[in-house]
Amino acid sequence: MIEIISSLVYEVTGTSRLIVDIAMYFGLLVIVAMALNFQYGNAGVPNMGSAVQVIVGAFTVSGITTRVAFLVVQMAGVQLLPYGSDYDWVYNNEVNVHVLTNPFIEKNPLFGIALLLFSISLAIVLGAVIGWLISLPAIRLRATFLMIVLITMADTSQIFGRNIPKISGGTLGSFIPNVFAWYPGDRGVITAVITLAIGLISFFIFKTMLNSPYGRLMRSIRENEVTVGSVGKNVVGIRRNILMFASGITAIAGVLNAFYFSYVVEAAYQRAWWTYWPWLMLILGGPGNNAGTFLGCALIVGMRRVIIAYKWSLEEFFFFPIPWLEDILLGLLLIAIMIFRPSGIIPEKLLYIPGVNYRQLVKEEAKVDWRAAPRARTEKERSKWSFKFWGKKEAD
Amino acid sequence: MNMIIPAIWISAIVYASLITVLSIGFTLTYLTAKIPNFAHGTYAGIGIYVSYTVSKILRLSPYVGFPIAFIVGATISATVYILVIGVLQRMGGGGIVLTISTLAIGIFLTAFLNIYCYWIREVYKTYAFGFMLREDDFVIGDYPGIFPFSLVLCIVAVISLHYLLTKTSTGVAMRAAAEDTELASVLGINVNRIQLFSWFLTGGLASMSGALLPLWFLSTPTTGGGLITSIMAGSLLGGFENVYGAIFGGFTVGFSEILVTYLLQGIVGTWVGEWRPLIPMFILIAVLLFEPRGLQGLYERFMASKMKKRIMSGTSRSEEE
Repeated sequence: MIEIISSLVYEVTGTSRLIVDIAMYFGLLVIVAMALNFQYGNAGVPNMGSAVQVIVGAFTVSGITTRVAFLVVQMAGVQLLPYGSDYDWVYNNEVNVHVLTNPFIEKNPLFGIALLLFSISLAIVLGAVIGWLISLPAIRLRATFLMIVLITMADTSQIFGRNIPKISGGTLGSFIPNVFAWYPGDRGVITAVITLAIGLISFFIFKTMLNSPYGRLMRSIRENEVTVGSVGKNVVGIRRNILMFASGITAIAGVLNAFYFSYVVEAAYQRAWWTYWPWLMLILGGPGNNAGTFLGCALIVGMRRVIIAYKWSLEEFFFFPIPWLEDILLGLLLIAIMIFRPSGIIPEKLLYIPGVNYRQLVKEEAKVDWRAAPRARTEKERSKWSFKFWGKKEAD
Repeated sequence: MNMIIPAIWISAIVYASLITVLSIGFTLTYLTAKIPNFAHGTYAGIGIYVSYTVSKILRLSPYVGFPIAFIVGATISATVYILVIGVLQRMGGGGIVLTISTLAIGIFLTAFLNIYCYWIREVYKTYAFGFMLREDDFVIGDYPGIFPFSLVLCIVAVISLHYLLTKTSTGVAMRAAAEDTELASVLGINVNRIQLFSWFLTGGLASMSGALLPLWFLSTPTTGGGLITSIMAGSLLGGFENVYGAIFGGFTVGFSEILVTYLLQGIVGTWVGEWRPLIPMFILIAVLLFEPRGLQGLYERFMASKMKKRIMSGTSRSEEE
């Protein structure tokens, strides 16, 4: 493990590659699953459209960051092939990115880091905008309507990516500049490390938000929205804010996924991948609980990556391709967890607010004047009381 | 072929009948179980493969497949209710949990259909991943048999459902359970059995209408699951809680999806065909934005304004009589 990170290897292969892969996917999906946990587990907003927000992050990189990189590189004096029209954008893309832009980033590490930060911040903004847009039709209505809209949105975003080549090169996909070209080792390793770091940061952000007054408001909305509304809180507004915030965070996962592969194609952002599997992680770990989300994410990502890595040896035993076996596992696991363990592996715990001395509170609560308490009934009295209910009732 | 009715109208009518029957089933499930059943489109996928099995492997007429598709789909739907939905309902799972479980069932059934295709390839050495059964259809004059048959199937389904819901005691019990589950159970209706019956019925209807599809359209294992947006748009347009509204809604969505695409292809260009899935999506969002209760809400608003006018003009119903 340590040698993968410390040594500047050019080729990470075999089991080490599998570990890097698992770490990368764990980082990506834990961001998505934590955002889902923030929305569904804590605020009761069933966001079945995380694929939309992830695809927005990916399209930010392929449609905007790549163009910005091209512009800067051109200004620096490197002659790029034309990329204005649809045709040029798709067919000169590979030369523009791999031959002309990447060596420039290799010489200017700061430019690469600036591009990474620019795409992440832009993705947060665009993700929030998309969150606001998809909340428009159904956030006021029943939760199931929101689910319907969000599920159908995922396919729509893929249609946009497929048919507008300027976004992500249509069905061919488009290469994107390698912002880690300055790193002498393997790109996958540094992307995985940065993804895990961002996952950790977002974990602390979510944790802080949950313990804030706003977080407690979110939980109260999940428990009973009518009561919260009657106290004078804007339930619809809070729900929309939550959806926007979590959408922004989810879009980061799309950005990092694009940089990991250095390539964006719409077919890689199907809703099964980016909506159903994260939901399975959330439900397996236990909604409303970040530790559970981490555990569920680790279990599912580990299982899936191992299945994919040993696909060829597994395929000898089946007459059909392994992805369908994975789908069957997904469906069965979701149903089995909901029936046999509805609260997940780690059930939700009570929220502890920092700064409140609970021990003191409990002590004060437990102070009972026993002399004023009613006399406990003995066994004898209880049997008498229960049988002679038609007779004269004895005074307590 | 010298046809008075162009082929595009045949496509539109077959597709509209299909979406109508599916929307009715979807609405019926929503009424009795209070959840949108995302696996409803996949039931149609089951019907598609029953049709394929009957005509390509058993070498019978594809029309024999319709009753078989009804039985197979109904059995699967009832099994789903007994094993998953009923259990989760008794455990007190909320609407979101139940909806996610239907999504899971949809994924499972789609994967199963794909595996079935691979199994057919292994055993019978035929290609089932994308097929059409137009050659196996009979011909009336210049028209394929599916054209009148789909309309007849749709009308028969609507009339028999109407008869069931209004004239039989089971149908009345179904409506009562849909209105208020607890009150219905107080009156002596076995709500579980009614729900089981409604899942049986909707699954059968969905599967039977799915058997229509390969007779005119190209069918793949994922075709059924892809219909769900149109089904939901149809159901939502009809009011989401009204079986009769779903008839209009489903027909409108199915008809417009084919015809609007065709008209736009003539005007703008053939590339519009790629954007066809946006039409039900557009209808869905427009309905949610402007009239969340769909045609039913519009109708009620219209009746209310009519009543208001009558009251304002000073002639109430009693005075007219």
